[in-house]
Amino acid sequence: MENVRSSTLPKKYHDAVVRWGQTFLPDYPLLLDNWEKFFPHDKRHELCAYRQMGMCDEIECGTMKGKPKFHKANEMTPELADHLLKAVKAQASTELGSIQQHQLTLARAPEEVDQFWVLRMMAEELRHGYQMFHVLLEDDWAAVSDTKGEDMVEEILQMRTGSHVLGAFNVDFDSFVDNIVFCALIDRVGKYQLAMQKVSAYKPMAESMPPMLQEEAFHLATGVVPIRRWVQSAAKEEGYVGMDHLQKVINKWFPRGLDMFGDERGGGSNVKMGLKPMNNAEAAKQYTEEVQQLVSDLNLRYLRARFPKLSRDEAQERLKRIVEKGDAVEGVGPDNLLRLPHHSFFRRRGIHAYQMIDIDGKKVETLDGFKSHLKSVLPEAYATARDMTKFFELMGKVVHGEVKADDAVHILPNLSRVGGVCPCSRAVRWVVDEPQKSNGH
Amino acid sequence: MATAKTGEIALRPVNELDIEAVCAIDEKLSGQDRPGEWERRISYYLRRDPELSLVAVEGKKVVGFMLGEVKAGEFGLEEPAGWIEVLGVDPQCQGRSVGKKLLEGMLAGFKARGAKAVRTLVNETGQKELFGFFEAGGFKSTPIRTLERKV
Repeated sequence: MENVRSSTLPKKYHDAVVRWGQTFLPDYPLLLDNWEKFFPHDKRHELCAYRQMGMCDEIECGTMKGKPKFHKANEMTPELADHLLKAVKAQASTELGSIQQHQLTLARAPEEVDQFWVLRMMAEELRHGYQMFHVLLEDDWAAVSDTKGEDMVEEILQMRTGSHVLGAFNVDFDSFVDNIVFCALIDRVGKYQLAMQKVSAYKPMAESMPPMLQEEAFHLATGVVPIRRWVQSAAKEEGYVGMDHLQKVINKWFPRGLDMFGDERGGGSNVKMGLKPMNNAEAAKQYTEEVQQLVSDLNLRYLRARFPKLSRDEAQERLKRIVEKGDAVEGVGPDNLLRLPHHSFFRRRGIHAYQMIDIDGKKVETLDGFKSHLKSVLPEAYATARDMTKFFELMGKVVHGEVKADDAVHILPNLSRVGGVCPCSRAVRWVVDEPQKSNGH
Repeated sequence: MATAKTGEIALRPVNELDIEAVCAIDEKLSGQDRPGEWERRISYYLRRDPELSLVAVEGKKVVGFMLGEVKAGEFGLEEPAGWIEVLGVDPQCQGRSVGKKLLEGMLAGFKARGAKAVRTLVNETGQKELFGFFEAGGFKSTPIRTLERKV
């Protein structure tokens, strides 16, 4: 990376992140020991913060467009600082939260290379969390916020799967397929958030983004490439992952990815304040188009592997016929291929939150019918997980008029583990914290 | 994702969703469907320097690609140099300066990364068109020779 400045946190905080890594990323030494084997000639991973120098000095969007960017927290209004700090907290929480999730099923990777790609990705997520801590700790927020940077760092380091800011990071992984689909779908949302924050009116935040985005590009490949292989193996009735299971895992994560963009009606304040260039709906639309392209490419790969004599054009034509007309050709119909769930399916944020809408976007009339539908289209291990139990409880209250859907979006997730901090324990109990208002991210 | 109006060619960094489009162009040029090869190659460049390698797009359609990286210390050549490993242009878009635009974009990227020279390997007799392309782009043969023996 050219024109990049690197630095480390004050020792106390650096050591705290290292200790956090020893708990939640115990295979980090293994990654470093095998770095040359899997990533020959690549710069070795370092736990530090990078800042891209020479970036735009003027605010790039919103009502202050053209004015100088803020270099220090005390140059901002409290309102702007509040929005920014929420974004930093959410970003840091996602980085560390994903490591806790990945660690649960990392050892179940069927291929060693996929395992080490995910492990590298986890190490880079730790660096991204470190980067956000650097943003929090390098400035003095006292003039614009009651929140001290050090308190926020401590709070984030204490978060566990179940108490993170965004819903997608409070869902346990059930198999290594989760690791991979998560990279392809949820890290893709991360890419959007990072790309949008690259224009941030707060220059230290903007400068933090390019090095993170560089690493994020590999994280998306860490997801997409194994899925491509799995789809081709499934077409030949080989391998470990069938199309049906892959579809169910996509159904699990795609709605959480859309939720991460926030309410479709929101995001305008961030644009006005110069923190992001797109509102939530615009960003979610682009994201959906990307995932749709991924699904189409995977289906094409499936057909080409299943029918190797078909030319690319013939396979494209056949794919169109199967998807658009619903035809089955030589035993392959729409149910054998992948699809994107409807954008209103299984949502917990935004206009469609806590509505009983099926995977096709059709309304389901009864709660039992909706439960039954979700159990049929989600992975079995997830459909019976605590997260779903709590979701159904809340959904029931919304259906019976005891809780408004707009209020329900602020209630989940607020689950935290008891029984220590060991991330490898799958037998820990859960307790429900007092509901807290979401910060809207 | 960067797009260009129909008829206009724009450049943007390659990403993991371009693998299939690159496979398609390669298949048109080589007659082979090689998904594993492009998954491997594109992943490599994405983890090395994802902003450097480029695709050319018309609208949202990928019509060309060029992959490369900056290396230093290889073969005793200590000075940082850009290396162009592979390029491909959709045959339907050839003659529209797609390759030239990709080359200009890559050269700018190499320069920004401190490269003092840009190198590639071309079979002068077997790839005359490609050789001509690089010659027109200002590339010259150098005393550095490729040595090869059968094993």
